[in-house]
Amino acid sequence: MTQVLSKIACFVERYNFTDPREENALQNFKSTAEKLGHEFSFMFKERISDIPNYDAVFIRATTDPLYTAYIVSKTAWELGLRVVDDPESIKICGNKVHLYTLFKKHDVPHIPTVFLTKDELHHRRLVEIFKEFGKPVVLKAPYTSFSRYVEKVACETSFREVAKRFFRKSDVLVVQKFMPTAFDWRVGVLDGEVLYVCKYMIPKGRWKHGVKLRGKPTFIWGRTVTMKKENTPAKLKEVALKACNIIGNGLYGVDIKEFGGQYVVVEVNDNPSIYAGYEDLRNRDIYEKIIKFLVN
Amino acid sequence: MILSTMGKALSSSLTIENSCSGPKTSRVLYVLTPFSCYLVFPRYKHTVNFKYNCDNTVVLLSGVQWVLVVSNIDLTTNVPIVSPSTFLGLSIKDFIVNINNDYRYLKMGYYVSLHAETLGNHVIPASGNIIDANRIPIFLLRSSKAGIPVMSYTVTSSVKQIISEVGFPVVIFAVNPLIYDGFKIAKNRSSLYRAMKSLSMNYKFAVCAIPLRGEIFSFRSIFGKCELESDARKVSERVYGVFKIPICKLHAQRVDGKVYLCGLQPVKKEELTPLDLKLISEEIFLMSRHGDPSIV
Repeated sequence: MTQVLSKIACFVERYNFTDPREENALQNFKSTAEKLGHEFSFMFKERISDIPNYDAVFIRATTDPLYTAYIVSKTAWELGLRVVDDPESIKICGNKVHLYTLFKKHDVPHIPTVFLTKDELHHRRLVEIFKEFGKPVVLKAPYTSFSRYVEKVACETSFREVAKRFFRKSDVLVVQKFMPTAFDWRVGVLDGEVLYVCKYMIPKGRWKHGVKLRGKPTFIWGRTVTMKKENTPAKLKEVALKACNIIGNGLYGVDIKEFGGQYVVVEVNDNPSIYAGYEDLRNRDIYEKIIKFLVN
Repeated sequence: MILSTMGKALSSSLTIENSCSGPKTSRVLYVLTPFSCYLVFPRYKHTVNFKYNCDNTVVLLSGVQWVLVVSNIDLTTNVPIVSPSTFLGLSIKDFIVNINNDYRYLKMGYYVSLHAETLGNHVIPASGNIIDANRIPIFLLRSSKAGIPVMSYTVTSSVKQIISEVGFPVVIFAVNPLIYDGFKIAKNRSSLYRAMKSLSMNYKFAVCAIPLRGEIFSFRSIFGKCELESDARKVSERVYGVFKIPICKLHAQRVDGKVYLCGLQPVKKEELTPLDLKLISEEIFLMSRHGDPSIV
């Protein structure tokens, strides 16, 4: 009987298995971990109380301080387990106000950003914002993920309408300059090193990678073009690593826009998407690297 | 002109940095204001950075250890108080006491602490504690680690698991992003299904199930102080010691005369009595004189 080196719990939700590309990636994690001599089990929210039975927790369900994934991460952390994503990364990346505040503080090149409180939702402030950033501007709820709760507004009326909707949940919003590009770079980073580089293409006639069709619940996503790490600009990787350094040393996906020859960070995502045949296309070793990081 | 708006200045050498016109040196011993004389004086340093807004609305001091209270509650204290939205626009460097009736994640109380931390300030409460205190399983886990008696709990979204592992009667707390207050007691299977459906938002999120073994009661905790008997008072003090949440409501169970912690939730403004406001003001006054004991 072979000895199990570490017991890894992979926290997932049902939706992680709805897309075959993601399901295949999860199976790749499982088989890689088992090849390396570890036990790898999928853990759903019904079995959170089993966390103390494991040595490490790998979170693949969507993370946010308000979601169950944070409970899992923090519980594992408090119990002294290795965990990806760690609660501090979730706390920072899960709130764009926090993230951009750190970008400003540490001089990370990022999309020009201001914050808006409920008290500031008045004509004079909106005029100032439009004057500073031009029209349209992008309004982001701090809890945005997968391109949701990010909207483009070009007039005061729509600004107020979107802001009021986002203010229902958060007392502070993010307002950014609109910077249209044909694609966003996605740089996967693990433990301060670049893991993979992709281009997330923007669907034709749209302005963000994921778009909800009007009147339909489904999202359409732009193509993913995977690059060889060696063939991507050094400055891009440098900016990505700088952005990750202020957050931690876990697993991150950094979204970067190339605009006027400059690289500006859109955001850093903890828990970045990893789909079989996409992010791993030119970097087959990402599963092994992540598992090794998790159990070391 | 600035000093006259501040109050009375006594004679000595002091470097004054005006954010509009740059640093300059003036002869003052300390700035005696209606609210800061006892704050600045005990920890007086010769160089004090002195800033004020160009519109003269807010005066900022740093280089001295003093207390700035950021509050959304009307308090009867002589300590300087700024509103949360004003504070978010400042870059003050001091010890911040964040007084708010609602410290939920994404609400103003959270952003004040986050902003203070980003500026490198010591703040009560810390943003991490705000998140943890409002996530019941993490709140109970950290309390338990600190030696506070807590009831055993199960985090799950399965009714069957609750019935088999916890039994009846059971107290159900929500662990989801939208419901934050209160709990439901289920004494039989049908009431458990109703409670689960509501608090898990149709089984989308997990809930925290705690066995009901005695009498459940709730009380306000103001800086760890409460008006109940000694056991509850001890719990309240120790919870404050761990999370430093100045104003909250605690839920506990009394089983065989012993108090067990069950949960925490925000306090509504209208629930605060004049006595509570007086207590808050007194605590702030004491803190401004003696500082926060946790600062080393």
